[in-house]
Amino acid sequence: MRYSSEPIFWVLFSAGGVVTAFLLPVLIVMTGFVLPADEVTFTHLDDVFGNVLVRLVIFATVSLSFMHWANRFRHTLNDMGMAKSLFPLVSVLSYIAAGAGTVWAAVVVLN
Amino acid sequence: MADTITIEVFRYRPEDGAEPVYDTFDVPLRQEWRVLDALNHVKDEVDGSLTFRWSCRMGVCGSCGMMVNGVPKLTCSAFLRDFAPGPIRIDPLDGFPVERDLVTVLDDFMGKLSAVTPWMVHKDERSVEQGEYRQSPAELAQFKQYSMCINCTLCYAACPVYTHEDDFLGPAVLALAQRYNLDSRDDGNEQRYPLIWSDSGIWDCTFVGECSVVCPKHVDPSAAIQQAKVQSAQSFFASFLPFGKR
Amino acid sequence: MANPLPRRHSNLWWLKRRPYFIFFLREWSSLFIAGYAVLLLILTSKVLDGEAAYNSYVNDVLESPLLIGFHVVALLFAVLHTVTWFGAVPKGLALRRGEDPVPPSLIIGGSYAAWAVVTIVVAAVFLLD
Repeated sequence: MRYSSEPIFWVLFSAGGVVTAFLLPVLIVMTGFVLPADEVTFTHLDDVFGNVLVRLVIFATVSLSFMHWANRFRHTLNDMGMAKSLFPLVSVLSYIAAGAGTVWAAVVVLN
Repeated sequence: MADTITIEVFRYRPEDGAEPVYDTFDVPLRQEWRVLDALNHVKDEVDGSLTFRWSCRMGVCGSCGMMVNGVPKLTCSAFLRDFAPGPIRIDPLDGFPVERDLVTVLDDFMGKLSAVTPWMVHKDERSVEQGEYRQSPAELAQFKQYSMCINCTLCYAACPVYTHEDDFLGPAVLALAQRYNLDSRDDGNEQRYPLIWSDSGIWDCTFVGECSVVCPKHVDPSAAIQQAKVQSAQSFFASFLPFGKR
Repeated sequence: MANPLPRRHSNLWWLKRRPYFIFFLREWSSLFIAGYAVLLLILTSKVLDGEAAYNSYVNDVLESPLLIGFHVVALLFAVLHTVTWFGAVPKGLALRRGEDPVPPSLIIGGSYAAWAVVTIVVAAVFLLD
């Protein structure tokens, strides 16, 4: 049978949904509030971000956040009454942005 | 409790070619009266031209669904006292064309329903002598919830995707397709998948979830759709495997 | 007589009822999540660039009211995402124990327990020297 291509995007969206549901709140508190309060020394941060596992988690969190956003963004614009003819274009642009973000994340993490 | 409550009823008279209006009626506010009783009171005592569907007045037939203060409800199950002191605004179900007053046009829903083969399909038809198609309680439990649908279309009125996607099959139709797909006696999955797994099937759904909230029979169409998405994704990725097919 | 009134639809449907508005916020939470992901990536690259780069980034950018404000809003949206996501998990995950479905409350409760563990582990990684 001919499949819709949606499962690819839905699986990426779902994976992003799970990862961000678990990790985002604590990460936001840590990097958004604890670090600006100068509660963590740079030496320790250097150790943390130097760790391979931490970098892997950062890559997964960031890239899947983008994939999660791309799917919700295009569908929500659609739900809010965007012209139907724009949906394919908006979809492509969303995933180009998410793909570029993923490449950037890979470059940063492999540094 | 006050003696009366005001209802504002959506009126559309196709022969006028006029814009719809709201007619206001004061009806007795009785402890045991439902919105449907108020409408019947108006039709019997005040204005016989008021048009609406109803039949069983006990939450089984699924024909008296309307918007009550903007929320899809079976009017036979919505008590006036819960809306006191009023007024109560009564509209035809959202998302459907209106035939007259509170009566919606169901052609689109009926067409989509019959398109997903909502009946049992057997590869090998059993003769009467061969007996019934047997099923264990565990197999029944797989789909029983989805079989409770009474086609009242409240879930369609609650679904913002249905109201703007003309092709979307919608909650009840997808839940009923799932009901047969999960039935161990049925062999029709392969003929249902192409439509329900298409972009106008489950993939149009953005999981607003209100279909499940308004369902008077606890069918939970949004769960049916999410589970169908999981199955469809599994089958999609399995189709790339070099050997074996799901 | 067939002269039906065409179906009515408003593009502002998401303002009409509370559940729709929460859905609307839930979907747009993804924008703040992606925005935070960009910040996390910038932070990572600053840390990897060394102490000087990190310090000036923290002092000039992360400690600015604008960024603190963004993180407050992003945190609210992230929690909304977490709560709505956990609430939705049992819908897609039809687990069964024999004939009986596993109660949704058990799946949701398990998600929250796992969330607590993940949160403590991540906090410990940052805070325990």
